[in-house]
Amino acid sequence: MQSLIARSAFVRSQAARVPVVRTFASSAARFQATPAEKPVLQKEFKIYRWNPDQPAEKPTLQSYTIDLNQCGPMILDALIKIKNEIDPTLTFRRSCREGICGSCAMNINGQNTLACLCRIERDSGKDSKIYPLPHMYIVKDLVPDLTLFYKQYKSIEPYLKNDNPPQGREFLQSQEDRRKLDGMYECILCACCSTSCPSYWWNQDVYLGPATLMAAYRWIADSRDTYKAERKEKLQNEMSLYRCHTIFNCARTCPKGLNPAQAIAKLKLELAAE
Amino acid sequence: MASGHSGLQKEVLALYRSALRMVRTKPVATRPSFRLFIRYSFKTQAESISPRDVSAIEHLLRKGRRQLETYEDIKVRNIWVSKAMQEWEEKEGGRRNLQ
Repeated sequence: MQSLIARSAFVRSQAARVPVVRTFASSAARFQATPAEKPVLQKEFKIYRWNPDQPAEKPTLQSYTIDLNQCGPMILDALIKIKNEIDPTLTFRRSCREGICGSCAMNINGQNTLACLCRIERDSGKDSKIYPLPHMYIVKDLVPDLTLFYKQYKSIEPYLKNDNPPQGREFLQSQEDRRKLDGMYECILCACCSTSCPSYWWNQDVYLGPATLMAAYRWIADSRDTYKAERKEKLQNEMSLYRCHTIFNCARTCPKGLNPAQAIAKLKLELAAE
Repeated sequence: MASGHSGLQKEVLALYRSALRMVRTKPVATRPSFRLFIRYSFKTQAESISPRDVSAIEHLLRKGRRQLETYEDIKVRNIWVSKAMQEWEEKEGGRRNLQ
């Protein structure tokens, strides 16, 4: 007990000493330099707004002006700043803020991309227009309804199908076979490519779209998958795959720099060679 | 047009019908709550928008279909009845004579 009291007294004296040192350090810094005042750089953001609670009201573009020098460099930073400081009702999806989750896909200045990977143009004369992904049903503001997109992804059975996997050890693959998956497995399913594809706009119900087709080919190209024939058979019709007219919007818009059009071309080649 | 309904009206009625049929798959004790919820949502939302506002009706249809898909699940056995719904039922009580 005695020693406990002694120790707590020691801790208290330590704690009392720390602030003295800190005060000294910060007061010294105050004399060294004043941070340079950044000039105010106002920029206008025009954002698509629509509220499902008032379905009778038409969607509108709402304008917000913020100081870019008080904001991070990316569009997502601006959106978060607007939501925090100006209008808490602004609705959008976001999660990782580093381009790995695919939540913040939206149409920025006419280009489908991830808000977290898209820099704000530092030209205060021009406004930035932000819309949700085109030709999707809207849940609210910048949030599109991706139910169909996910259903399509589910329909291609995006998992390894093999009747006799090796028991009790790893499933080996040669480096060459593994290399075939590069450029496809990185897809984060942000739906930027599918919603930029005119074929997908007009035939969402029957055409699978670039993201899903690339995922389909990712499993067909996998050396460990034994259901290649069944997978190909499923795509062997007029609509699912062949609605792709090689428009290449998917490859141009992909925020991860992938090339779904190439995967679809390889898929077409394999189906035609059967 | 033999029935006198437009395509959109037919879609709404079809959704209403399938929603009411969904009630029969639920436990007897909670059926009145489900029925009240369905009638309340359809009637109040139909009154809130103009019959000419096609895009709004289509949005509500999509929303309704999604909701129905959720409620159709056999694991959903009861539904909460809000105060607004009860008040609405008392007001509309005279017209409630289904079963």
